[in-house]
Amino acid sequence: MVLVLALGDLHIPHRAPDLPAKFKSMLVPGKIQHIICTGNLCIKEVHDYLKSLCPDLHITRGEYDEDARYPETKTLTIGQFKLGLCHGHQVVPWGDLDSLAMLQRQLDVDILVTGHTHQFKAYKHEGGVVINPGSATGAYSSITYDVNPSFVLMDIDSLRVVVYVYELIDGEVKVDKIDFKKTATGHS
Amino acid sequence: MGEADNKPQKKRVPDWLNNPMWSAPAPPATSATIIPPEDPPPRRVVPPPLPPPKPTPPPPPPPPPSTARSDPSEETSFSGASQSHLITEFGTALSKKVVNVGELQRLACQGVPDLPGIRPTVWKLLLGYLPADHALWPYELEKKRSQYNAFREELLANPSEITRRMEEKDGMNEKDLSSDEDKGFLSRSEIPHGEHPLSLGETSVWNKYFQESEIVEQIDRDVKRTHPEMEFFSGDTPFAKSNQESLKRILMIFAKLNPGIRYVQGMNEVLAPIFFVFKNDPDLNNEAHVEADTFFCFVEVLSGFRDNFCKQLDNSIVGIRSTISKLSQLLKKHDEELWRHLEVTTKVNPQFYAFRWITLLLTQEFNFTDCLRIWDTLLADPEGPQETLLRICCAMLILVRRRLLAGDFTANLKLLQNYPLSNLDHLLHVANKLRGALPG
Repeated sequence: MVLVLALGDLHIPHRAPDLPAKFKSMLVPGKIQHIICTGNLCIKEVHDYLKSLCPDLHITRGEYDEDARYPETKTLTIGQFKLGLCHGHQVVPWGDLDSLAMLQRQLDVDILVTGHTHQFKAYKHEGGVVINPGSATGAYSSITYDVNPSFVLMDIDSLRVVVYVYELIDGEVKVDKIDFKKTATGHS
Repeated sequence: MGEADNKPQKKRVPDWLNNPMWSAPAPPATSATIIPPEDPPPRRVVPPPLPPPKPTPPPPPPPPPSTARSDPSEETSFSGASQSHLITEFGTALSKKVVNVGELQRLACQGVPDLPGIRPTVWKLLLGYLPADHALWPYELEKKRSQYNAFREELLANPSEITRRMEEKDGMNEKDLSSDEDKGFLSRSEIPHGEHPLSLGETSVWNKYFQESEIVEQIDRDVKRTHPEMEFFSGDTPFAKSNQESLKRILMIFAKLNPGIRYVQGMNEVLAPIFFVFKNDPDLNNEAHVEADTFFCFVEVLSGFRDNFCKQLDNSIVGIRSTISKLSQLLKKHDEELWRHLEVTTKVNPQFYAFRWITLLLTQEFNFTDCLRIWDTLLADPEGPQETLLRICCAMLILVRRRLLAGDFTANLKLLQNYPLSNLDHLLHVANKLRGALPG
């Protein structure tokens, strides 16, 4: 039972001052085992804050990140699942699911987490699952101003993943979930 | 069969119940002291014909070993009784259809023989886990064991499993997503009962899980340092690891069932001997249920001493301070000179040494085998474990009185915190002599 927090596109301080208070109250240290961040934090203070939530932090570079040392893509294995991480501005057209599927096949991962569009998405194709946790602060994107703050928490339990989607809609936190399983030989 | 070699390992279960050799005059090589195996190996190496002295099925009426041997006038209450004699008596006592608990108590006070299989059964009978009537054993065992398994399933499940069960109960069947269309947006569904991992609700399964993780860590740390000198507990082997896991489970279930005292450091030490004894029971019928049996017996042992672990009761009339002062009074009654020297002259506050003696039931003061022998008496004495424990502690003090009287604060404290045991039987004999009601 491993808890993995996936979030990104915070754009602090340029487009948003901080995470929404209701999100911050829920994110306490000690519960989460890994954090994967799609990028665009943008400053070191945010990095330190995330590090305080969980020491195992993985970040990929977004186009506005001030720390240039983050990698463009990252892969890691958690339990039985291989996860891939990439900000997504590199994949053109932005947010195009077929192109992301290509990236996923290149990285050879079961779950690909990308951002940049600031819209939550969870999509399944032959190669695996693509998840976009959206923007955790609700910052405006290159495409639209209408953004709800959202992030994703994955509960990985052997071959099963439960994806909890946290969204702030009209000031209230709404939580949904998505279940999916991996067949022993890989996604069908 | 029946030969007790001087090697620490005994792999054969002697047919002690039915074997006519016990009536033969040649005693086994053991003298009055039980040869302590350094670290008794798991007696899983089961010898071929295992007689069922354990009456899970109703026992065949055993031919009692020649009655000439168990002549009552020969039965002495001093611990110098020869081993074979004692073994015979235990055999008779345990094989009766309705065990005479009083007689078993009397026998156990002389020390349960170290042969495989006797001690677990004796302890279970003394603690009331097994009823006196053999016929009721299967029923009782079944009941308790299935109760433990229910606890295990219910209380030790992690929140993912619990929420999954909640869903299944609500009838929201898991869609088998591997048979869904291969492409498409994944559909979102409602969370069961508002349960999500970051929930801060009081009743949330997840929240409770995280709050209890502190206790879990504490238990984990303590179990890892239980008896580091014994392979059984601390070895690198999968066997030792599985023993540790069992201990952890038992302690966790106990903590969850007793929110009043939860887990307190030291409970692992009280649990260890019980688990060890039961795990080394060669009876295959009991093998799968060691944890369950240990759990209930642990609860039983602790029930007499619960109040010692409850911080709020520390200063109350039932708490640890009061118990320690009872010890003090007992010492004063039996050996006022020593009492005065210890508490008044050298100012050795009994809390400095007796705290550990009492709360951990002397498990830390003696080597493991001696502990088991002391526990035989603790569990068997009709006066009750608390009173017996105090008497033994008092006897411990009296036996080293010469050194204590000659020592100052530092020397005495050092002595009492590393108690030197020379003769366990003598200690228990002295403790026995200290019986009698405390004045007031």
